[in-house]
Amino acid sequence: MPRFLVFVAALAFSAAALAQDVTFGASVQLTGPVANTGRYYKDAYEFAIDKINAAGGVKVGSQQHKIALKLLDNQSDVNLSVRQYTQLLTQEKVNFLLGPFASNFVLADSSIAEKASVPMVQGGGASDEIYARGYKYIFGTLPAASDYFGSTIEALGKLNPAPKTVALLYADDSFDVSVAKGTRDLLKKAKLQLALDEKYSTNASDFSVLLSRIKSSNVDAVLVAGHETEVLNFIRQSKSLGVNPKFYSFTVGVPSADFRHALGKDANGASGMTAWLPSSTLKDKWFGDAEQFAKAYKAKFGYDPDYHAAAGVAAVEAFVNAIEAAGSLDPNKVRDALAKSNFESLYGKIAFNDKGQISLPQIVIQIQNDQVVEVYSDNKFEHKLVYPLPPWGQR
Amino acid sequence: MELLAQVLVGGVLLGGLYALMALGLALVWGVLNIVNLSHGALIMLGAYATYYLFTGTGLDPFAALPITAIVLFVIGWLIQRGILNLVIRGPMFNTLLITFGIEVILTYLAQLLFSADFRAINPPYAGNNFRVLGITIPLMQVLAFAIAIGLTVAMWLFLLHTRVGRGIRAASQNLVAARLYGVNPRSIYALTFGIGSALAGVAGGLYGTVSQINPYIGGPLTAKSFAIAIIGGLENPLGVIVGGLVLGIVESLTALYAGSTYRDVASFGVLILVLILRPTGLLGRTT
Repeated sequence: MPRFLVFVAALAFSAAALAQDVTFGASVQLTGPVANTGRYYKDAYEFAIDKINAAGGVKVGSQQHKIALKLLDNQSDVNLSVRQYTQLLTQEKVNFLLGPFASNFVLADSSIAEKASVPMVQGGGASDEIYARGYKYIFGTLPAASDYFGSTIEALGKLNPAPKTVALLYADDSFDVSVAKGTRDLLKKAKLQLALDEKYSTNASDFSVLLSRIKSSNVDAVLVAGHETEVLNFIRQSKSLGVNPKFYSFTVGVPSADFRHALGKDANGASGMTAWLPSSTLKDKWFGDAEQFAKAYKAKFGYDPDYHAAAGVAAVEAFVNAIEAAGSLDPNKVRDALAKSNFESLYGKIAFNDKGQISLPQIVIQIQNDQVVEVYSDNKFEHKLVYPLPPWGQR
Repeated sequence: MELLAQVLVGGVLLGGLYALMALGLALVWGVLNIVNLSHGALIMLGAYATYYLFTGTGLDPFAALPITAIVLFVIGWLIQRGILNLVIRGPMFNTLLITFGIEVILTYLAQLLFSADFRAINPPYAGNNFRVLGITIPLMQVLAFAIAIGLTVAMWLFLLHTRVGRGIRAASQNLVAARLYGVNPRSIYALTFGIGSALAGVAGGLYGTVSQINPYIGGPLTAKSFAIAIIGGLENPLGVIVGGLVLGIVESLTALYAGSTYRDVASFGVLILVLILRPTGLLGRTT
């Protein structure tokens, strides 16, 4: 008799699960060298889905569905992530795909989504290459890599005296090559002289040669497109080699809490950019606004969210809105609804261009007195940029 | 000219740290005939040990190095006694597999215990430097270089002039004869692996003062140590100094003249050249 009851309970449970849940699948970097950033996406996806489920879930037609998440660890291995996305579609039969972190992963994984005609919304890859292939099923909540330094270069032009020469360093992967390509055009338009233009290997740990060259060419501003490990090494070695450009800016790391934690006082003066800051003016259907979101997020995970987390949450919200607008779980209908997305969120206005990428301005930030300070946005200075940077001993 | 001098000095300083990283690997390889693929993971553990001693107790990172060395010695001793000893007579392939497994376990344990956050050992004087003849010399790298060279030379003297050191060399040269003369291989092997791990630990602590630490730094450091050990040869601890310096200088000059993306091409190119021209290493006996 008890065995029969268990059987009935199991049957009821599985029937409920099958009928009700809308399942999102994702493969992210929970271990391996990129785990440090990959886990932001796990936290963001789970946080957003819990919140939306608590508010009743997603409405398809007249029926409320809970959202389930099938999350796999790709161990920071691109090949494994491709296999896992295939597995999510063929074996786990997930309804929709959320993206991994990093452009080179998105570049490979979006092909799986495209082949299966299942939409993927991702907040982890910004490289222009992702959107240059005419794909129909990829949507991204990070703005274009080629314009990452756009607002920074605009701000530099308004300084007095404005910097004249620039060094551009970038890692040899899809995102950073994309950034470098866009930045060269931006520099040309701004009539800034590119005195040093150098590619380095991903995961480089020794920057002494590049730093010596920066020092001997005496450039005013240094722009670095790379990964957080490289940026940390770059800044530490700048200090120990006494290399002191008037300005330096990095595509990654600066908005992240653990970046400031690892560098301490040496983080001061580093500039960067972010498409998102937790401002109360960004209203959100589920979280109230971005400030409340950031507080709740920190209370739960113990660290401040940066744009990675917000872009991940935005990806989930884009799906939920699109599913409700389509009134269906049909991948093609949801894909068309995604293409028409237009709503306010804690991350900003979510709308995709015809290639599938969002367009958001990059806010220029700088670390001043151990805090991230918003320096330049909407074509004007919000706070004073520390420029030229003081010598190393006085930061 | 000044740029070239600066780059050469950077290469030499880098080479010193490379040498210390490779020293433990070369020692274990030479004596136990084990290519220890977990060597980089032990470097990583040493970096964390030093980091937590520094941030937790406020101990100066250089004063913490001896404690790091002791902790890593114990870990290494236990790994040898508990695991590696089981396959000590086995084929090379088994020891490769086991040390690879240890590497994976240590790496993921480190992520569980310490998280994937990036850390840096950053005492207030970490970024100091001084100038000699127009060349900027970073203080931490000079200290790391001095300790690396000092330990390597001390290791050489220890192997040449102490009873235990001679026992280690005897076990590596002719195990049967060594046993006849009263050398106990069990304790010699555990001791050697312990010393190798302690050296890795110190190298890790120094690495953390000039670079950043995360659970995944080990793999590339093992590869680099492996290359240095082959370039320098296994017979003589001074070989790893030569190997480290060659690699540091070659990498730096490549980055200066050919571009930073060619560093690894150059360093592993040197490795292949050495294997072709002098298979026993630059300081090994020629065949």
